[in-house]
Amino acid sequence: MEKTLAKKSFSQWVKKLSSWSVYIPRKDEEGRWNYAEADSGGVSLDVLQTTLPPKKILFPQREVFLEFAKTLAGNRETLEIKEVLPEVKPTVIIGARPCEARAAWMLDEVFGGEFKDAYYWRRRDQTALVGFACTIPPSENCFCTSVEGSPHSEEGLDILLTDLGDRYYVQSMTAKGEKLISAAKELFEEPKPEARKQVKAAHAESEKKIRRQLKDARPIAEKLKGMFDSPLWDEESMSCLRCGICTYLCPSCHCFDISDEVDNPSPLRGQRVRTWDTCQFPDFTMHSSGHNPRPDKASRLRQRLLHKFQYFIQVYDKFMCVGCGRCITLCPVGIDIIKVLDKVRDHGA
Amino acid sequence: MELNVYTPKLAKIVQAKDEVVGTRTIKTFRTEFANGARFDYRCGQCAMLSVFGKGEAMISISSSPLIRDYLQFSILRTGRVTAALHDMEVGDLIGVRGPYGNGFPIDEWRGKNLVFIGGGIGLAPLWSVVQTALLRKSEFGTLSLIYGARTSRDLVFKDELADLKSQMPVHLSIDVAEPDWKEFVGFVPTNVLEKKPSPANTIAITCGPPIMIKFVIKNLKDLKFEDDQIYTTVENKMKCGLGKCGRCNIGFHYVCKDGPVYSWAELKKLPQEY
Repeated sequence: MEKTLAKKSFSQWVKKLSSWSVYIPRKDEEGRWNYAEADSGGVSLDVLQTTLPPKKILFPQREVFLEFAKTLAGNRETLEIKEVLPEVKPTVIIGARPCEARAAWMLDEVFGGEFKDAYYWRRRDQTALVGFACTIPPSENCFCTSVEGSPHSEEGLDILLTDLGDRYYVQSMTAKGEKLISAAKELFEEPKPEARKQVKAAHAESEKKIRRQLKDARPIAEKLKGMFDSPLWDEESMSCLRCGICTYLCPSCHCFDISDEVDNPSPLRGQRVRTWDTCQFPDFTMHSSGHNPRPDKASRLRQRLLHKFQYFIQVYDKFMCVGCGRCITLCPVGIDIIKVLDKVRDHGA
Repeated sequence: MELNVYTPKLAKIVQAKDEVVGTRTIKTFRTEFANGARFDYRCGQCAMLSVFGKGEAMISISSSPLIRDYLQFSILRTGRVTAALHDMEVGDLIGVRGPYGNGFPIDEWRGKNLVFIGGGIGLAPLWSVVQTALLRKSEFGTLSLIYGARTSRDLVFKDELADLKSQMPVHLSIDVAEPDWKEFVGFVPTNVLEKKPSPANTIAITCGPPIMIKFVIKNLKDLKFEDDQIYTTVENKMKCGLGKCGRCNIGFHYVCKDGPVYSWAELKKLPQEY
């Protein structure tokens, strides 16, 4: 389904979605842009890249898996376990960048498959993604076109909005998308033939505006298979502070920890939680014996890059990188994934 | 309600036995499910055990899947969860989820001789296959075990090993001589060269500390075992058991899901990241 929506009607549409939880980029108290629930105030898509991708809406930084409690009746102790699956109302993320939706399309692989992750799918099944095509690149480090994405890619999206000056061009790809449009169908108009032309031109133009490029990503993936023992990882990881920012702010990184939190030691009461974790921390892989298969920064940088550019492709035939550039922009010491992979490509050439 | 792969089943400890006391303490537990839940598994698979309030740990199942009354786990006290497990008693409840991993391809080994080679706590995952092979003895050729530990005190399943000697050749070893020790003194890989198992129609299955496995494989190769005649298990830190949490991988393989059992032919192709 294709429509147009006048920009002046955009806030009204969002208001009409009152039975949904609506997330949209918002400025937090410290002045950072992040996805947060829309309130009655004005909403706008006039935002460049948010600090955090919307990943946390589908895969929260901390979530409770189950609660446990012991009760003492006389001298008989009983242990009770209560599974806590999230109760999620229909949710829509408006203004997600196409690359951020592609990340959800990658996370679907991780949390799906033989062992479905009920916590993820409870949220995912209820969530619609309304993307906003990047007619202006949201970051100087965007390189989506190098990793099989584009500023107007549709993977993972239910609706794609494209800025046409005074209106948005609205493409709905799924039943979820059509539901969102029908919630306020009086606001949407049939697109005029010239609007169709304009949107095509805007999409073509948007690809040219992406400033950074990683050439030959697929051949690099192939070449990485022979570079496990390369000295490159040592050289490139030298300056790493092992802060983990590159992974925590990444839309597709999904490594996690499961641990128990105790609220009351006796009688025992607490919860089992899942929290984000990172392959950049030394104890991520450390055995209880003290042995660590990834004992240094070199092996951990290698793991991050190989997971994204070799292993994920071997299993799912997709890169596990959407080219948003956050890991480049926000790394405190300037480790640049494109430059590292450039060196892989040019190695021995 | 949809199946939740992270929710453990409650199981009661019905037996807790000291295997090894001292600095490297090992206990063997048997558990029964509180509500008679079914738990089908294959030899060599693992289970994620919970001590609520402490966390979870991945432990190999040492009982045979043919024995349906209980699950058995032999556990070295080494971290927070295993220490808490060691402090538990008969009647206490733990959580069990799984089973996880690929297990040993025991059906492919029909008609072959099996030689088991273990070191220390590494006998636990082998024990499941040893017990199963004994229960299905007519399907296999000759069975034998080469097993060692640092000292005679560090051997696990001491009582069961005495019984096992009536059913298959058992070659024990300890690393350093002791006054009453009548069997081999030296490392397990050396005992393998000493006992010279024949590679003819034989599968060697080895499990133990990584350094032992490395030299056992080297020595088996010297005895002319082919890569696909040697099986071993890999251990890495795990949290989910489902190939999602991202830490146990060696290359694109998740040990929890695609392992922990590998033939040497498969394992040698993967990066040495374990």
